[in-house]
Amino acid sequence: MRVLLVEDDALLGAAIRDQIAADGHCVDWASRLAEASDYRDVVTYDLILLDLMLPDGYGLDCLRRQRAGGDKTPVIILTARDQVSDRIAGLNAGADDYLVKPFDLAELSARLGAVARRYAGNPNPILMIGGLTIDRAARSVFKAGERVSLTAREWALFEIFIQRPAMLHSRAHLEERLYSFEAEVESNTIEVYIGRLRKKLGYDTIETMRGIGYRLRKSEDEGG
Amino acid sequence: MRPLAILQKNTLQRRLSLVFAGAAILLWLLATLAAGFVLRAEIDTVFDSALQEVAQRVLPLAYLEILDRDGTILETGGAAEVPSVAPHREYITYIIRDAQGRVLMQSHDAEPAGFPAILEPGFHAVAGRRFFTESAVRGTVFVTTTERAGHRHSAVMKAIATLVLPLAMLLPLSLAGVWRLIALTFQPVARFQKEIEARDPNNLTPLETGTLPGEIMPVADAVNALIARLRRAMVAERGFASNSAHELRTPVAAALAQTQRLIAELPEGALRARGRAIETALRRLSRLSEKLLQWAKAEGGTVIAEQPEDGVDVLLHVIEALGADEDNGRRLRLTLPSSGHCDITLESDAFAVLARNLIENALKHGPEDQPVWVHLSDAGLFCVRNPGAVVPAEELLRLLAPFERGATRAEGAGLGLAIVQGIARGAGSALILSSPATGMEDGFEARVQLPRAG
Repeated sequence: MRVLLVEDDALLGAAIRDQIAADGHCVDWASRLAEASDYRDVVTYDLILLDLMLPDGYGLDCLRRQRAGGDKTPVIILTARDQVSDRIAGLNAGADDYLVKPFDLAELSARLGAVARRYAGNPNPILMIGGLTIDRAARSVFKAGERVSLTAREWALFEIFIQRPAMLHSRAHLEERLYSFEAEVESNTIEVYIGRLRKKLGYDTIETMRGIGYRLRKSEDEGG
Repeated sequence: MRPLAILQKNTLQRRLSLVFAGAAILLWLLATLAAGFVLRAEIDTVFDSALQEVAQRVLPLAYLEILDRDGTILETGGAAEVPSVAPHREYITYIIRDAQGRVLMQSHDAEPAGFPAILEPGFHAVAGRRFFTESAVRGTVFVTTTERAGHRHSAVMKAIATLVLPLAMLLPLSLAGVWRLIALTFQPVARFQKEIEARDPNNLTPLETGTLPGEIMPVADAVNALIARLRRAMVAERGFASNSAHELRTPVAAALAQTQRLIAELPEGALRARGRAIETALRRLSRLSEKLLQWAKAEGGTVIAEQPEDGVDVLLHVIEALGADEDNGRRLRLTLPSSGHCDITLESDAFAVLARNLIENALKHGPEDQPVWVHLSDAGLFCVRNPGAVVPAEELLRLLAPFERGATRAEGAGLGLAIVQGIARGAGSALILSSPATGMEDGFEARVQLPRAG
């Protein structure tokens, strides 16, 4: 998942960026609304974490403009404004969730996952795909009842596949979802991670469409 | 309801009405008195003229009746009475006497005994009656005329009564007119007075001054300037609380987030344990600063909304936020007004803080496997109940004091109930604690009557 973080506080922004990256997602961090707008012009984000009081404007105004323009990217507001009226205003402006500072980074990760699942059309965190049982909230995969250990990056890549199981993902698309602007991506990085996932989850879990990309081999069978 | 302005003491309308009415009555009395005097003088003139005219007309006739051809008085053997042509009441009577005072002739209603003995020509007043004497034949015959006793006074009184009575009847009408006229003139002032009287103490919109008279306008302008100043101060105060929260929360959030990242990156061991200790301290700092800011705002008394707000919406947001924690969500039992909404004049943020503190308290101090009942009635009564040991009455009072915590191991700043009490007081209500809870044998109940709109 590629996340845009809009936060002007350097210490807090760095901690959030590191947390999301540790979860295996790709983060672009903007400390101004104008910078965030530039990022959004070139990349489609899966989720935006938006602070409200920014040096060059009010985040809520930006969100209203975004929604008025038909943009449906999920947005979680991160703010120090704790009043219920602020929360109502935020949700009415089109935010999907509202997190008041200070918050636990673990809670942020959980909310981020919940909003992403909701947008993917299935808020249920438990999925069953082939012989795999996947708990998206706990970020864990079970194969034949045994837990499979995935690194954050492996999980992030696998999550892209399970969000839209029938979709074909090109290598460029997967790179864009997984790596930020600053990251230097080796040409075979995606192939390496796909290989690791196949090894851990089963070689037939992800199939290669030669010259086009990758997709989950079996269709989704929800449960839980 | 206030009595009419005319019945209230010390009102300008009453004072002006009384002064104008008093002045009108006084002027009317003086005018009546002057008219009475003039009337009396005119009636005296007319009546005196009538007496003189009658005397002078009777005198030539008397010659014929009582003098012989050579001018000596005929012996009649007593007073001859002039017969009347037809029976009638005589208002002017007369007697004719000789120089010795003997009555020679009289009109038929005349009573000689009532005439004065004096025979001097001219007007005389005796015992309140007017007489006129005229002499002739070189002082041998005297005619004295008078009017019927009391007739002149009666005529004067009747004339005055005719003048006064219609005016007296118009007097209450004119007084009512004076009062009405003043009331109409004072209408803008009365409206201004009613607007101030009916104004909610927390309503800080400017007063309507459009039709006020020039004398009152500076007062209204001064009041409006004061209201505007108060409003600015309150907005600044709210802004300060909000900005303080923002300025304080962001660095705490950064410190907490950095600490959590540090913990995540450290290997298990002493350093990680120290990191967790810092994390705990930061959480406590965060909670305490939040409660202190809430307390400062609650004690500031700026909790009344200018426009009514739906308390149900606010409560649902609070429940949703608290219920995000699965354990809390499982324990909360919510009862809402049957109408589905409850318009209150308590500011939504203040109600949210009030509700959150009471519910958090109940969740924290009630048994973890027991429910917490949250109830908002149609009448605006907000009530939170939880099971648990009975709290003695003297401790209930103590719990309302800031930084006072009950006999509990649960973490907290001891400010929750003080914050709720401050908000309730600011809203003109009160926080009422009871234990055991209503309808239960144990437990704790907190309730606040929220200010209803309308």
